[in-house]
Amino acid sequence: MSQFLQPTILLLREGTDTSQGRAQIVSNINAVQAVADVVKSTLGPRGMDKMIQTGPKVTISNDGATILNLLEVVHPAARVLVDIAKSQDDEVGDGTTSTTLLAAELLKEAKPFIEEGIHPQIVIQGYRKALELALEKLEGFSINISRDSPQEKRDTLLKCAQTALNSKLLANTKQFFSELVVSAVEKLDPNILDRDLIGIKNVTGGSVNDSFLVDGVAFKKTFSYAGFEQQPKRFENPKICLLNLELELKSEKENAEIRIEKPEEYQQIVDAEWALIYEKLDIIVKAGAQIVLSKLPIGDLATQYFADRNIFCAGRVPQEDLLRVQKATGGQVQTTVNGLNPETFGTCGLFEEVQVGAERYNLFKNCPQSRTATIVLRGGAEQFIQEAERSLNDAIMIVRRCFKANKIVAGGGAIELELSRYLRHYARSVTGKTQYIVNSFAKALEVIPRTIAENAGLNSIEIMNKLRQRHAQGGEEGRWYGVDINGASGVCDTHSSFVWEPSLVKRNALCSATEAACAILSIDETVKNPKSDQDTKMKPRGQPGRPPMGMRR
Amino acid sequence: MSLAFDDYGRPYIILRDQGQKKRMKGLEAYKSNILAAKAVANTLQSSLGPKGMDKMLVSPDGDVSVTNDGATIVEKMEIQHPTAKLLVELSQSQDAEIGDGTTGVVVLAGKLLEQALTLLDKGIHPLKISDGFDRACDVAIKHLETISEEIDIQANEHEALIQAACTALGSKVVSKRKRELGKIAVTAVLDVADLARKDVNLDLIKIQTKTGGSVEDTRLISGILIDKDMSHPQMPKEVKEAKICLLTCPFEPPKPKTKHNINISSAEDYKKLYQQEQQYFVDMVKLVKDSGANIALCQWGFDDEANHLLLQNELPAVRWVSGTDVELIAMATGARIIPRFQEITPEKLGKAGSVKEVQFGTSNERMLVIENCQCTKAVTILIRGGSQMIVDEAKRSIHDAICVIRNLIKDNRIVYGGGSAELACSIQVLQYADEVSSVEQYAIRSFADALEGIPCCLADNCGLNPITSVAQAKARQLQESNPRIGIDCMELGTTDMKEQRIYETLSSKKQQIQLATQVVKMILKIDDVIAPDDY
Repeated sequence: MSQFLQPTILLLREGTDTSQGRAQIVSNINAVQAVADVVKSTLGPRGMDKMIQTGPKVTISNDGATILNLLEVVHPAARVLVDIAKSQDDEVGDGTTSTTLLAAELLKEAKPFIEEGIHPQIVIQGYRKALELALEKLEGFSINISRDSPQEKRDTLLKCAQTALNSKLLANTKQFFSELVVSAVEKLDPNILDRDLIGIKNVTGGSVNDSFLVDGVAFKKTFSYAGFEQQPKRFENPKICLLNLELELKSEKENAEIRIEKPEEYQQIVDAEWALIYEKLDIIVKAGAQIVLSKLPIGDLATQYFADRNIFCAGRVPQEDLLRVQKATGGQVQTTVNGLNPETFGTCGLFEEVQVGAERYNLFKNCPQSRTATIVLRGGAEQFIQEAERSLNDAIMIVRRCFKANKIVAGGGAIELELSRYLRHYARSVTGKTQYIVNSFAKALEVIPRTIAENAGLNSIEIMNKLRQRHAQGGEEGRWYGVDINGASGVCDTHSSFVWEPSLVKRNALCSATEAACAILSIDETVKNPKSDQDTKMKPRGQPGRPPMGMRR
Repeated sequence: MSLAFDDYGRPYIILRDQGQKKRMKGLEAYKSNILAAKAVANTLQSSLGPKGMDKMLVSPDGDVSVTNDGATIVEKMEIQHPTAKLLVELSQSQDAEIGDGTTGVVVLAGKLLEQALTLLDKGIHPLKISDGFDRACDVAIKHLETISEEIDIQANEHEALIQAACTALGSKVVSKRKRELGKIAVTAVLDVADLARKDVNLDLIKIQTKTGGSVEDTRLISGILIDKDMSHPQMPKEVKEAKICLLTCPFEPPKPKTKHNINISSAEDYKKLYQQEQQYFVDMVKLVKDSGANIALCQWGFDDEANHLLLQNELPAVRWVSGTDVELIAMATGARIIPRFQEITPEKLGKAGSVKEVQFGTSNERMLVIENCQCTKAVTILIRGGSQMIVDEAKRSIHDAICVIRNLIKDNRIVYGGGSAELACSIQVLQYADEVSSVEQYAIRSFADALEGIPCCLADNCGLNPITSVAQAKARQLQESNPRIGIDCMELGTTDMKEQRIYETLSSKKQQIQLATQVVKMILKIDDVIAPDDY
């Protein structure tokens, strides 16, 4: 090199980290594996929780998406996993851990092929083909549950909710909570099923069994001024006025200037200001409102004015709560009181202020067009309630999904094993490298039952053998055999023991896991820019980990 | 912490600030969590029971508090460790829901964790342990309900309520005066209780503290006490048949909220302005006077001029009354809060038998007492004591007692204290354990052992031999099938808690067992801790 005196070609900024080629794919796979290992032990009904401390905040969770999010993954390839977990969470709300595990397992299976020199694109093609077949089969296997009677439908929903709650802290009270969740979802508009309309309120104290469902809206007592206690706290069929308006004695316009000549006029200005607020209050009272809620503050003057006229008011109601009240009571939020029309008022069967633990709550019950529900969660510790909320969230999402799509599959790893069996069988009929790859896909699917068994402290190898044998016998009989964490034999028909999941969850999990795996396999070069100047001032230049390689000749 | 290594053995950077994070997995994580939580429980252990000791806590600002109340101790300890914090919240949630038994719940959780640790060492899966605890908890709760007794809270001049309050106060620094304080608490609660709805709004009981005097001087005022005095020293000190005018506007010339300034160009104008201002004061006082009010309470301040005028017009007045007090007075006297002078009408005045200024001890501090209010539903307990620390502790103790009484009004079932309820449950759970054929049997048995830990701890704190006294009590419970045999902490010569009249509410005991089990289950479920390195 030196005899030609070839100058160094600097293509990228100094300190840029690049790596490429087969080694890059393998190293990406390793990184993904490491991340998936963290969430592995949370899978299944015997899954454990993780405690993650970020700053002063401590989170205890069993939810894959939550954990991955809190880990603050910075490795670019491993971030893909975080993203699919999140997308699964957004799309179906549950099954985040299994998606992550599946993606990692697919990559693990692909690793030997890459190392042996099979082109990644062939692996990708094989995986896509296998996915296509699996999805097709999944559709065929899923059971269309009869929806004739509402009772049967409700039963199905309960079963699905229970399966989702199985692995969570609430597992022991799943009967109770599945009832809550299903009743809450049933309250929603069946066409839209807007998740935002189910409110979950946390109140520390009490035991989880003290949690309850309000068929309407509940929110915490807002900040109140003197006079609030004199207001009535209970109404039947009240007229509810919803406002986005400040009811306070204050200057109407900033920077306005008024010139007055005589001292007598001074009083007029003062009176004018009072007149303004009184006028507003008067309109509300005249219109016949009995409960006044506002997103903006309701001052002490207005509080006392309402108290004198037996009207309940609450200011600074959070936006989402006001929205729910609007939906539940059929009222409309007004931004002015001018031309206030009683038709814009909502109503509900019963309004009450009640004491829940140490907090006071406003409850709007028996709403006429109730399209909302609120779950008030109780529990011993803050973290406990937070985790309970996340678990309920998963259950709510699952029930929503079930509500829409009426197909289910059996959980406990049964469906994965059945798909795996089918793919293995299919693989024998193809020639070429694809055979290997479809086989790997089939093998990767087995990670789900295996992990469930492992986490439950069972002998996973023995269980897997039993399950494979059951499934291989084929037919309707062996199809739904999955891991049984309670029984002595370790396997059971999960369909008849009601471990049910909506097939949509599985479908989405398979798709996104495969997509993620393919995406990572197709990356053969990473270019990582050095950290920005601010960081480099603190640290000496260059990456501490990997030396720059490749670009310099 | 590092998760992965590449082919050359160098760690990858996968997580942000990976080098500064620490990770604990599996058994190591369980043990560290359990030990941290146990440390908290051990601190509280010596505070349990009638002969429990107090803790002295010094805040960063140097404020000293001496207390025996579990929730207060753990709160002021400012615990950092995340798992230990769970126990703090446990205690607080018992406080929020029940108000009493905050020490017991933490000690029970500690005992359960201690048992869990031995089970983990035996190699039992943590979730099996928590399943077992859960089942045992159900059995214990059911048994508690069967041994609970309904009491008649009305009988014998609320004797039962007073006894229950005495039990709650028995462990506190004020225990010498427990009967007097118990009576005060019972009367206060019954005054504001809505017996038909079985509900008590504790906001209506105001607890006011004042250093000086002794605990014996603590008394109940069937009315409201505010820490204010008349605005002018020459005003009358007592107003009988008071008609109270509650104002939320100052005795000052009105100001528009819009920004303003006044330009005066001539001396004549100045005079006019002055006169107008004077006129305002005269008008204001006149408006109040005309309505028939004979005392004015104001949320805001007075101009000196106004104060003087009020005195001349023989209208006693109080200024800077806090918003919550204004509200309370309004409720008690049936007054309406008046936002401006123009709106004063005779109907809006509140009525009270007397409003008087009282002085305490030799100090120059005065307070206003409003008694015999028209719709009296608010009461005040005035706590006296030798020092701030004693007064504060007495306040917490009375709060506990009030909560106990409220719970009894809500649910009049009781169990007997002195560890007898725990012992009875323990025996029941032990029996149940033998019927369970799976691994959980061990966990259930351990749960029974943990329950036994409470009477043990009680006996220990009372200077008795824990093992012998618990063994004796247990044997007698079994022989006589009498669930009321407990530990004779006060050495009264009987171990039957019914004779000793140690009452505890069923709801509190139930809650203790449920909450403790819940938190222990949560701690047992954590197998991985990721935290900054200095954790």
